Amino acid sequence: MTTTPFTTGRRGALAQGMTLAWRSLVPLRNELGRLIQFVLQPVFMVVVFALMFGAMSGDPDHAARYLMPGVLTQVTLISTNITGMNLAEDIVNGVFDRFRSMPLARSAPLIGRVAADALMTTATIAVALVAGVAAGFRITAPPLEALAGVALLLLFTLALSWVSAWLGLKAKSVASMQGMATAILLPLTFGSSAFIPPANLPSALRWWSSVNPISHLADAVRALLLGTPVGPHVWVTLAWAAAVTACFVPLAVRAYARRIR
Amino acid sequence: MTYAIEAHGLVKRYGDKAALAGVDLAAPPGTVLGVLGPNGAGKTTAVRILATLVSPDEGRAVVGGHDVVKAPAEVRKLIGLTGQYASVDEKLTGRQNLVMIGRLLGMSRAGARGRAAALLTEFALEDAADRAAGSYSGGMRRRLDLAVSLVGRPSIVFMDEPTTGLDPRARADLWRIVREQVAGGATVLLTTQYLEEADQLADEIVLIDHGLVAARGTPGELKARAGDRRLEIRPEHDADKAELILAEVTGLTPHRGENGLLSVPLLNSSVSLAVFRRLEEAGVSLAEHAVRRPTLDEAFLALTGTTTSGRTR
Repeated sequence: MTTTPFTTGRRGALAQGMTLAWRSLVPLRNELGRLIQFVLQPVFMVVVFALMFGAMSGDPDHAARYLMPGVLTQVTLISTNITGMNLAEDIVNGVFDRFRSMPLARSAPLIGRVAADALMTTATIAVALVAGVAAGFRITAPPLEALAGVALLLLFTLALSWVSAWLGLKAKSVASMQGMATAILLPLTFGSSAFIPPANLPSALRWWSSVNPISHLADAVRALLLGTPVGPHVWVTLAWAAAVTACFVPLAVRAYARRIR
Repeated sequence: MTYAIEAHGLVKRYGDKAALAGVDLAAPPGTVLGVLGPNGAGKTTAVRILATLVSPDEGRAVVGGHDVVKAPAEVRKLIGLTGQYASVDEKLTGRQNLVMIGRLLGMSRAGARGRAAALLTEFALEDAADRAAGSYSGGMRRRLDLAVSLVGRPSIVFMDEPTTGLDPRARADLWRIVREQVAGGATVLLTTQYLEEADQLADEIVLIDHGLVAARGTPGELKARAGDRRLEIRPEHDADKAELILAEVTGLTPHRGENGLLSVPLLNSSVSLAVFRRLEEAGVSLAEHAVRRPTLDEAFLALTGTTTSGRTR
């Protein structure tokens, strides 16, 4: 061994995690297509759901006020797909093995993933909000209250991204991860009060919508952005976020530990 | 003698199937150990154990003086891994891949950039440095993969089939790089399906088949063990009949090469006459016949009973 390894100046898990977060975000700059998709999707959803579907109702302005926070919620939650898909992709491609053969902190790849996704989620919320405002949606709540609405959405999304991480670590392929995530997210987001008030639904769907945690989240975000009474929704949402986090962080960490063993 | 890589009795089972059924390996520092074998022989499993990616069910492996199971963190500081199962991030450019690895290994920003630039030059990737790795050709990708594994100047490098699927020129490029690494003092463990590659690069070859060591020795020793000379015939017709006759007379399994070339080790000169006589009796005429020194390919056949190409058919 005549050469000296370069690994003497060891950095901590956090610094390694930040390098890996950089690694997850930098492709957006490399590939214009990805960036466009990432910006376009929220804009598209706002236009289709809030404006086009709103126009189908008798009172488009009223409908847009109801729909816009729902679209924001849906678009943000769907973005959690990325977490699991990227993890599954790294495992399938062997990038994960490369990291495991290096002197890295065990938690670094997971930290990097979650940090990058938190940043992406924040950006998604910002894009969707700007698109909504451009389309005529007005945040009528006091700024702090509106900010609390965004924070609540972010918090719940982070909780859900642990579910996504768990699926990604368990999945055999990227496609199967995507399939599972979609199967979970579609009924949760569309079968909620995000788009249609439960009162307007047939009874079976009304039942599902009323027990669906996303209904509480959508109602809470809507009330916080519009400055209307929030009712119990914020607390129910916080409880759900806590429960999901308490369940899926250990599950994801265990699945991860098994993968990196 | 202290070995850079040392393994004793490695066993790894996946379900009922033993990928490794008791393999010993040893490589002195600064040498190339060629692990040769067909697909599914257990080569990749051996590399994954030595690179701390999986634990052996039985046996023990020491890399750079550290036990791979008890002190994987120490082993990881010394090794570089490349090939089938290590990979580059296709969404990043070549340069970004290298910088990322440098940063992860604790280099400063400037240090990581400098190392990346040096490796891009060394591996002839400068022109493609700022393109996404996903757009690279097979040869460029392997070169980048290898460069990435060398960012931390590892003293022990594992290369798992680094040239599988590459064209001859790209293969020659990689061979040059391997030789440079060894000249720089590194120990290399290289797995390959190509006997020519092991012959070209390895100081010592371990031939693995069905999870067991079938033979070991220097390339010259293995060739010698396969018999001094080979009898080659190319029948004009009735290839199957000719193969049967060849097998009957010599008592060995003929190797069927390209363009219908059949060959067997020639242990006794009188055998060739017997072969020709039997072929004539059977009415098989030959387009070509020759006696020549064996290639490692035939050594492989003689030592394992299978051809290197046979398994992929």
